[in-house]
Amino acid sequence: MNKTMLIVMREFSERVRKKSFIVTTILMPLMMIGLMVAPSLIMLYGKGSTKRVVVVDSSSLIADRLVSGEELVFETLDRTDVAGACAEYGSESDVFAILAIDDDVMTNPRAVRLITNTSSSMTVEANIASQIEKIIEREKLKSYDIEDLDRIMAEVATSIELQTYENNGTGDVDTMESTSSNVSYILGLVLGMLLYMIIIIYGQMVMTSVIEEKNSRVIDVMVSSCSPFQIMMGKISGIALVAVTQIAIWAVLIIGASKFVLPALFPAEVIQTGGMMMSVIGTFSDAGYIAMLFVYALLFILGGFLFYASMFAASGSSVDSVQDAQQFNTIIMLPIILAIIVMMSVFNDPNSDMVFWFSMIPFTSPVVMMARIPFNIPVWEIATSLAVLYGSFVAMVWIAAKIYRVGIFMHGKKPSFKELWQWIRTK
Amino acid sequence: MDNILTIENVSKSYTGHVALDDVSLAVPRGSIYGLLGPNGAGKTTLIRVINRITIPDCGRVLLDGKPIAVEDIYRIGYMPEERGLYKKMRVGDQAIFFARIKGMSKADAAKRLHAWFERLGIDEWWSRKVEDLSKGMAQKVQFISTVVHEPKLLIFDEPFSGFDPINANLLKEEILGLRDRGATVIFSTHNMASVEEICDHITLIDKSHNILSGSVDEIRRAAGGNTFTVTFSGDEELLRRQLDGRVTMLGESCGLIGGYTQIKIHIPSDDEIRGVISTLNDSCRLRSFQEVMPSMNDIFIRAVENRL
Repeated sequence: MNKTMLIVMREFSERVRKKSFIVTTILMPLMMIGLMVAPSLIMLYGKGSTKRVVVVDSSSLIADRLVSGEELVFETLDRTDVAGACAEYGSESDVFAILAIDDDVMTNPRAVRLITNTSSSMTVEANIASQIEKIIEREKLKSYDIEDLDRIMAEVATSIELQTYENNGTGDVDTMESTSSNVSYILGLVLGMLLYMIIIIYGQMVMTSVIEEKNSRVIDVMVSSCSPFQIMMGKISGIALVAVTQIAIWAVLIIGASKFVLPALFPAEVIQTGGMMMSVIGTFSDAGYIAMLFVYALLFILGGFLFYASMFAASGSSVDSVQDAQQFNTIIMLPIILAIIVMMSVFNDPNSDMVFWFSMIPFTSPVVMMARIPFNIPVWEIATSLAVLYGSFVAMVWIAAKIYRVGIFMHGKKPSFKELWQWIRTK
Repeated sequence: MDNILTIENVSKSYTGHVALDDVSLAVPRGSIYGLLGPNGAGKTTLIRVINRITIPDCGRVLLDGKPIAVEDIYRIGYMPEERGLYKKMRVGDQAIFFARIKGMSKADAAKRLHAWFERLGIDEWWSRKVEDLSKGMAQKVQFISTVVHEPKLLIFDEPFSGFDPINANLLKEEILGLRDRGATVIFSTHNMASVEEICDHITLIDKSHNILSGSVDEIRRAAGGNTFTVTFSGDEELLRRQLDGRVTMLGESCGLIGGYTQIKIHIPSDDEIRGVISTLNDSCRLRSFQEVMPSMNDIFIRAVENRL
């Protein structure tokens, strides 16, 4: 076996056998699914206990028409003194709140007060406010003396489900691809963040590993058998292989989970009415689309990782400790953080000039382009971005190898940028 | 003479200082070659040049008469001064990894490594992690990793540092054994006793220069004359002042029973011996004055102090 392959295999097998690798590989998808599902689950099962609300209605318009639900139960009191009600239904009683409605409620938007015995919540307030708004609107409409108002209102009640398609020029909508910016938004966000995390976590892994090898002087033994370039590339490729393995396991786990676990968690009617989250989960079971995203994700993760990892390797080789590497790391990580900021504006307009250029520059392109891909951007843009990224990776490796070659034998003082420049220029 | 390794006019300077200045030497095949010198003299740089880790600014390194090339790496075994092993890796996996990096097949490496591990009594540590090993055991693992592919040329940087006397002796025996089986061994050290015991040839490097080269016997014979031990009682400081500039003091004085002090000196020329003796007679009570064969340690000190 050739030496670079030996080094790759050593890096790979030592890392995937570690407990920390196995734990993060299993926990990450659980966490991601948890984050995606938690809001829906909370909405579904997380309803609070039934709360009693006593209503003091001076206007006599509202109280009788408040609808009690699972969460809120309204009781109308035969009295109009708010102070007395507050005294009677204080915090010792099992009443959640006193709802006081003044007699000028039709004209004064501030005439409704909710006096709670314990802390209130947004859903309770929204529920009460919207009920009262509707009652007052209905009351105002009544003053126009419209016949059959209830029937008309029921008939005009409308809800729109916007169907979005991408124009393919044929004019035949049935052949057009159905798109949803909500789904693209979620996927773009998840993919962009994934790229960011992989680059940072695995890039730093390359750096600490280089420092460790340098400090334990293993590098002296290694260099007497292989060239520094082989050692550096073996290490970077080995760790890249670990990253790819981890992502592949995640992909399998996530797809498996969305196919089998999620349907069990959510009743069918929830999937139909579940909105955005459910569309995302629905998209996850579209195998062809997932495969395409997966291939692009792999290409960008690999390119982005190799590009940044060679910088991290150079940084690790030039210092003696992780602490000393911080200064270089900050500089290396600035563009990645910039990429995350730019990624956010992808969701406003995935085709703006700024976003386009940031998805071409290799320092930011992996993250920004990955966030754009779910928005069905032209393939030539993706191809160009990949070509630039891989070309820059070769250039970056060339520079990094020059620093690495000198750096691994330098112990003691941390080099200045001027010295690094000299190392690059040394024959 | 048949030389396995020849170094011709090698110079290497780093920004700010010269590590090697026009160093030449020749290592005879089948010898044990000592590379001596004070700390910072340039020994490690020279070893790195031989290993192709460092490329010299000028000069060349010949292996078997040909400029050393990439494939020659397989024929060299190198053990650096600061031992380097992956701490988290299992001992056996690691030894096999290093053997394969040196071009051995996996099966072959495992077979030979087990034989070596048994021989040095560390076979039961095969599947333990390196971080569980004691320092001495880790050094044995490192030693085995260096020699397992049976290279023709072995280079040890300070092999005895950190070994206890028993293991140092074991290591010495192994080095001699390797030589007897046809390997050439180069090692750097400042442990002079080990030089006398096992080296055939030495080179002494000081301040980036090769200041003394040759076989140990010849060097000792050449430097042999005019080294004396002086036993006396009296004021040592006064004596040292009187002799200052006329002789080289070799090492520290040592006190003997009965209030006597012994010092070792080297007198540059025969003509001065009588003068030195009369000075000694005048400034202390001289008990004995005896010619001795200089140890390598004495030669080392003389060479470094006077550029012998």
